Amino acid sequence: MVDVEQASDANLVVAVGRWHEQALAEVYRRHGGAVHALSRRILRSDPPAEEITQEVFLDLWNHPEKFDAQRGTLRSFLLARTHGKSVDYVRSEVSRRAREEKTSRETATAGYDIDHEVWDMAVAEQVQEALGALPDELRQPIELAYFGGHTYREVAEMLQEPEGTVKSRIRSGLGRLRINLAERGVQPAGAEQ
Amino acid sequence: MNEDLSVSEHREIQELLGVYALDAVDPETAALVERHLDGCIKCSMEVAQHHEVAGLLANSGGESPVGLWDGIAAQLDGSVPPSWDRLASQLEPGDGRAARMVDVGSDEESAQTADPAGAGEVTGPAGRDATVVPISAARRNRWILRGASLVAAAAAVVALVLGAQVNHLNHQVSALQAHPLLSAAEQSALKDPSTKQVQLTALSGSSSPAKVTVVLTAAGTGFVEVDQLHSLPSGKTYQLWGVIGGKTISLGLLGTDPAVVPFSVAGDGSVQAFAITAEQSGGVVQSTNQPVVAGEVTA
Repeated sequence: MVDVEQASDANLVVAVGRWHEQALAEVYRRHGGAVHALSRRILRSDPPAEEITQEVFLDLWNHPEKFDAQRGTLRSFLLARTHGKSVDYVRSEVSRRAREEKTSRETATAGYDIDHEVWDMAVAEQVQEALGALPDELRQPIELAYFGGHTYREVAEMLQEPEGTVKSRIRSGLGRLRINLAERGVQPAGAEQ
Repeated sequence: MNEDLSVSEHREIQELLGVYALDAVDPETAALVERHLDGCIKCSMEVAQHHEVAGLLANSGGESPVGLWDGIAAQLDGSVPPSWDRLASQLEPGDGRAARMVDVGSDEESAQTADPAGAGEVTGPAGRDATVVPISAARRNRWILRGASLVAAAAAVVALVLGAQVNHLNHQVSALQAHPLLSAAEQSALKDPSTKQVQLTALSGSSSPAKVTVVLTAAGTGFVEVDQLHSLPSGKTYQLWGVIGGKTISLGLLGTDPAVVPFSVAGDGSVQAFAITAEQSGGVVQSTNQPVVAGEVTA
């Protein structure tokens, strides 16, 4: 039997499907930090970020079949789930009041600085470079939508741009970012070992 | 289908893929996109690419908080994965959620399982009694699970979970023969080169060790040999299931602490898989419980 520490992410998910708790623990060891950091970054609060982190891994435990290795890495899958849950929380009634208070103090371009936080992997520098290489009109809506948890309609309002323009810029920005990252040799997060 | 309209819709959805991937759409729009993704590989792949890029943006690479894992692990202890449904959905294309088994547990069924015809009793190594209820062909028919999807799901369970090994009689025979409770019939079966052995393996990485072997002859006579399995409390029983011809069938009750239990299968014994569940005393017609062990019969 393959040691869990040596197993690929895809194999770990198969083991999770067989209720191997150690496999889930290894998945958590590899990706729990990124999941928690993303949630905390979006929510800007630890308790709900911890709750969402737990939910993400419990979801994997209960529904490993939702991960399709053909469509991306485990980390991108987990982070997408994390982002969705975090955004749901941000948009929930629970956080609405706090969010409105924060929004009133922030401008469209402030408060979502992507230059700080916990970027401690070597790849972070390349990612920052790739992001920084994007024109502001492509970078800002991505940051606001992804890290701010705003809908594109809200982003359009914040940036005072037409909704269709924001929609297109986010799609174009992600495409450009992918190219920029590839040029810097950055592989998708959590690529198979 | 109006092809022009389809192309138009496709383009409209394409424009939404970036914001959808960043969860920057309202629920109604998300549902619209998801319906499209179900039938559009190209758009699905684009969303996957956007997710990868977003994952890089999010990737902090920080340490996983240790305390959080404790919280997750604690919840695992108390959870019972919906195994039959879940495993079916992994293996069965389309509707994989049809495998809900129903615990009947009626007096009628209890009486049925208590039918002495064909029943036997095996005394365990520690002197504990294990009720053995081989099910005759006629009675077994009443245990056939209704519904093709259910059957497929049950088959899926075994197919996925099991990682099972089926070996024709080989050098392991000698080890099995050493078991003090093996009957002469079983020993005879083990000597038959057409006899198959199926190792049933635990479905989880839990702390519950299990070592169960099913010996199945070509004539359909079988034996469940339990070397390691937790004893069940009073009021419970292990129940053996087989997937035969695509149908999941109860093959008998094994008692609370089985050792060696004979059973029979009609026909040539073309069982595709075996599984054992823990049920209430008297057994059930359909099980909602996660198999304790299971194994796939391979050629």
